[in-house]
Amino acid sequence: MAALTIENVKKSYGSTQVLKGINIDIEKGEFLVLIGPSGCGKSTMMNSIAGLETITEGRILIGGEDVTHANPKDRDIAMVFQSYALYPNMTVRQNISFGLEVRKMPKAEREIQVDKVAKLLQLELLLDRKPAQLSGGQRQRVAMGRAIAREPKIYLFDEPLSNLDAKLRVEMRAEIKKLHQRLGTTIVYVTHDQVEAMTLADRIAVMRDGTLQQLATPQEIYDRPVNVFVAGFMGSPPMNFITAKIESETLLSIETKGETYHLPITQGKALASYIGKEVTLGIRPEMITEPLAHKAALDYVKVLNLTPLLTEAMGADTMVLTQFGDMELKCRVNPSYLVEVNKPCEFMFDMSKAVFFDPETEELI
Amino acid sequence: MIYTQKTSPIQKLLRVALYAVLIFMAAIYLLPLVVMILNSLKDVEEIRSGNLLALPQDPSLAAWSKAWSSACTGSTCDGIAPFFFNSFKIVIPAVIISTLLGAMNGYVLAMWRFKGSELFFGLLLFGCFIPFQVVLIPMAMTLGWLGLASSASGLILVHVIYGMAFTTLFFRNYYVGLPRELISAAKIDGAGFFLIFWRIVLPLSPPIIVVTVIWQFTQVWNDFLFGVVFSGVDNLPVTVALNNLVNTSFGGKEYNVDMAAALLAALPTILVYVFAGKYFVRGLSAGAVKGA
Repeated sequence: MAALTIENVKKSYGSTQVLKGINIDIEKGEFLVLIGPSGCGKSTMMNSIAGLETITEGRILIGGEDVTHANPKDRDIAMVFQSYALYPNMTVRQNISFGLEVRKMPKAEREIQVDKVAKLLQLELLLDRKPAQLSGGQRQRVAMGRAIAREPKIYLFDEPLSNLDAKLRVEMRAEIKKLHQRLGTTIVYVTHDQVEAMTLADRIAVMRDGTLQQLATPQEIYDRPVNVFVAGFMGSPPMNFITAKIESETLLSIETKGETYHLPITQGKALASYIGKEVTLGIRPEMITEPLAHKAALDYVKVLNLTPLLTEAMGADTMVLTQFGDMELKCRVNPSYLVEVNKPCEFMFDMSKAVFFDPETEELI
Repeated sequence: MIYTQKTSPIQKLLRVALYAVLIFMAAIYLLPLVVMILNSLKDVEEIRSGNLLALPQDPSLAAWSKAWSSACTGSTCDGIAPFFFNSFKIVIPAVIISTLLGAMNGYVLAMWRFKGSELFFGLLLFGCFIPFQVVLIPMAMTLGWLGLASSASGLILVHVIYGMAFTTLFFRNYYVGLPRELISAAKIDGAGFFLIFWRIVLPLSPPIIVVTVIWQFTQVWNDFLFGVVFSGVDNLPVTVALNNLVNTSFGGKEYNVDMAAALLAALPTILVYVFAGKYFVRGLSAGAVKGA
């Protein structure tokens, strides 16, 4: 039985439809990340699961029980907010135990529970402080503590890390992941940060304009995005898109600025019906590298001359923006491969993970 | 911005002029108070023969004591003391009730919006702009129907109703500035409407409570019109008594007693401002600068 079922959920504000029929099933213990650009409806989806907003159509089931019209308090969920929403007038201890108190848990049990949570999140020394006396990361942990204390069926995280600085964000990300592994809880997590989505999720739901674009594991979404939108949204820096023509089951051609280039294809079978037609080729930056000796003999690689326009050293890799005919391509090379701006040099295209989209529908072929 | 700057003679002159104007204005504002204090300490003869601004030759609190306990206000001659307590009897419940209702209304209008709540709020704001005189007759009739005519409870009810528009406005605007997620978090924690109000919202309200209490206290204490119309003879507030005292004269006018009585009647509001004035200003600007 699914921990959470979202069944054909629609939501409108007046004539504006923000959710256009969403279907998602989440297994017990699963970590699901909802991701999409701002305004895609992911926060509305989250609030609807929490019961903070009513839905116009469809059903929401938690643990098999229909909670579509239930109050937030009757849904057995806990939520961590972007702003943490800690009660400023209460100490950390009171913040964590408030929900237990409201639910009439006896005082002695409450104290045991608070101590357990405090130990789990290393909040022991902060229990008697007010939220105003805590740092951002500490507030974040208290907010998680408040959620954990109640031991709900489902945890909802609404962009919980977006108010933290970069270093702390990475730390807290790891903590959330550890916590999930340790407690085995069901989590729905909203973010617009695709690195967070990739690193945390068991499955990712990519949303756009109130519709679900793809629901799959992070690797599948990364390797086999269902359409151009998902391909461009997931991955940083984003995937390169090139208009190409399929020549045969093993070859494509790219025509740009009067020159014609050829690249090998590995998924020839799937492309059989596109021979002689144009497609959109998607290739990730890490698949365009410096020439690698150990790959040189493979039949799915090809070396082309590109003109570097800009280099960005990232430490482990160097991102190179290059000119290819009238297109710009992002490439990821080893820092030891020294390139000079405006001086053409060799780049190796690895086509094994290239993806192809229909230029009309923008769907994956 | 940190930089040092040499002040030119013209700038210095302007500064001096600025202070001169400010001091002059302050003096004009303070002069009536000074005149009243000075003359309340003189005897009637000295006021009549001397200068209003002259210092008292032989300062005495006789006029104060007479104003407090033995001056005649209409047919009784017990000073304004009994009316002083009448005022408190009316002001305290009126302030507490109107503040609590305002807090509750503001909480609903800011955090539990319903269909038409904005319209409701807009209509409520009309209450801030209705002149007292307009409501006198309908109010008198209503109090009559309710059996509260000429009673302290009736006057309290009038003040509560009249004050609610302002108190609601204060609280609503303050609560709009509180993060909505706080309420969402409490809802998910399982708290209901009243529990959220008592445990989360009200503990965050002291700044606006201070503002509202000061405002309401001043309004109700200083009210004359409702007091004279609705209170009945047994519950006359101090403002009405002061008027009666000034208008009642046997023989010559006792300006010193009038002034002492006026000062006594104004004392509570003056004290409230002296001691709580800074909280008033702080509370009014609290929403504007609140961070994180």
